[in-house]
Amino acid sequence: MDWVFLSELAINGALTGLLYSLFAIGLVLVYKASSVPNLAQGGLTMVGAYVVLALARDLGMPLWLAIPLAAVVMFGLGFGIERVALRRLAGRPVVMILMLTLGLDIFLRGTTLAIWGGTSRSMELGVSYEPLFLGDIFISRIHLVGAGVALALFVAFMVFFRTRTGIKLRAIADDYMASWSVGISVERGVGLSWALASVVAVAAGVIWGEIQGVDQALSLLLLKGLTVAVLGGLDSILGAIVAGIILGVIENVGAEFLDPLVGGGSRELIVAAVLILTVMIRPHGLFGRHDIERV
Amino acid sequence: MQEKAQGQSILSMNSIEVLYDNVMLAIKGVSVQVPKGGMVALLGSNGAGKSTTLKAISGLLKAERGHISRGEIKFDGTDITEMLAQKRVEMGICHVIEGRRVFEHLTPDENLTAAAPMGMSRSELSVEKDKIYDYFPRLAERRNSQAGYLSGGEQQMLAIGRALVTQPSLLMLDEPSLGLAPFLVAEIFGILQKINREEGLSVLLVEQNALAALEIVSEGYLIENGRVVMHGTAEALKSNSDIQEFYLGGGEGANFHNVKHYSRRKRWLS
Repeated sequence: MDWVFLSELAINGALTGLLYSLFAIGLVLVYKASSVPNLAQGGLTMVGAYVVLALARDLGMPLWLAIPLAAVVMFGLGFGIERVALRRLAGRPVVMILMLTLGLDIFLRGTTLAIWGGTSRSMELGVSYEPLFLGDIFISRIHLVGAGVALALFVAFMVFFRTRTGIKLRAIADDYMASWSVGISVERGVGLSWALASVVAVAAGVIWGEIQGVDQALSLLLLKGLTVAVLGGLDSILGAIVAGIILGVIENVGAEFLDPLVGGGSRELIVAAVLILTVMIRPHGLFGRHDIERV
Repeated sequence: MQEKAQGQSILSMNSIEVLYDNVMLAIKGVSVQVPKGGMVALLGSNGAGKSTTLKAISGLLKAERGHISRGEIKFDGTDITEMLAQKRVEMGICHVIEGRRVFEHLTPDENLTAAAPMGMSRSELSVEKDKIYDYFPRLAERRNSQAGYLSGGEQQMLAIGRALVTQPSLLMLDEPSLGLAPFLVAEIFGILQKINREEGLSVLLVEQNALAALEIVSEGYLIENGRVVMHGTAEALKSNSDIQEFYLGGGEGANFHNVKHYSRRKRWLS
């Protein structure tokens, strides 16, 4: 085996994996702050990308203004989702909330389709398509930028969850009733977690939109994002980063070996296998919290 | 007489009725007064309506689809019957809910931080934490371990400490002795008494362990079947033969042939 080739596969896999992490952080944020799996992150990511485009192309703003402004809009949307949809379900069985987020995802997809149509639009971030050379290894610049964004968000949220607001969010995830009893505003906390996830969705939407174009397919990232989030442990941001890298490398290297054997398409199989095996063997993932049972 | 008593009360609850799911009447006209700086116990058996009474006061009923269908609750002279739970905490009512319910995946220190009011400055919070660690030295030792792995007694202490961070003037505790060894119950009750004395904190205690509760409170209410069936000073309750027999496990000794046992109990429940 050619070591240069193998490391190229691994490095590019890891970078792509960090882009999955970028998406998965949105899932983890909501779970970490409310113990609800957020299946709407795909829809949110797509809406995030479309809002950036709407501001940049349709209203003619420069991207450096359109992206932060889209983040503000999406922050508000996140709060709105809690206020309109989730608040009524607080304290109800998780299954119902899960279904609600899935419905939300479908709703967001339908809305973007109705407003912006189905044709793919390009983000045009202005990042060069010329690959970088690391010795003999090719590296995509946009992937490098996206991986940097993922790591920056990782650091930011690690710090955030040590602040008083962050601790309150973790408390909410632990026990709604106990949170209410000491005056924590559970509603506002859940709203904030969705707002932050929506901001992360803008980042993921911009990077993935640049890579594969802005269209309905963006919402399909949910499958890989969910796999990364589950593998990392649904409530661990560190887990999302590590699991993203692992999945990216396994997928890229594995597909190289498996594709010739099965005639292509093994990427999806690898991702599915990772998801299923994680849930079967290690349901709380690599770094997820266990439910504590004292004996 | 009644007027005067209300003037000194921090909490006055008048003929409260609570409905769950709009159908189940859990308490049927309960009136409870807590004097400022006093310690009051609600006694009674399982399912009598003690917890519901506390939830009506703290506003946590809403989370369980219950609501107050009649009566009013005044806290420090303000009508709080319809107020949001969060607002009541800000006003100074804190409810230590049944079963300890600490934030298991947080450290004890983070548990205290989580309960801090948003307006409390960093330095105020650390003063407050030090005070709580002084009351509960066991917590100080384990402040950075995971709360879920603390012992039952330590978790109860943490639950009380967490409530104290909200700076309550009325602390309500639901069965703090549940599942704890007697020496721990004595330790925790002793600390509660100390806080009550030193800070003038009013305490409303729900207990099945009447023996332990009547040692530290000044008065008590006996609730059965959603109604207050008896009210008096701790001394009076302790010497009441019915209470002795049914709740303190003693009195004239166990006489199974005493038919009056049933008729006496029936008298309250009717």
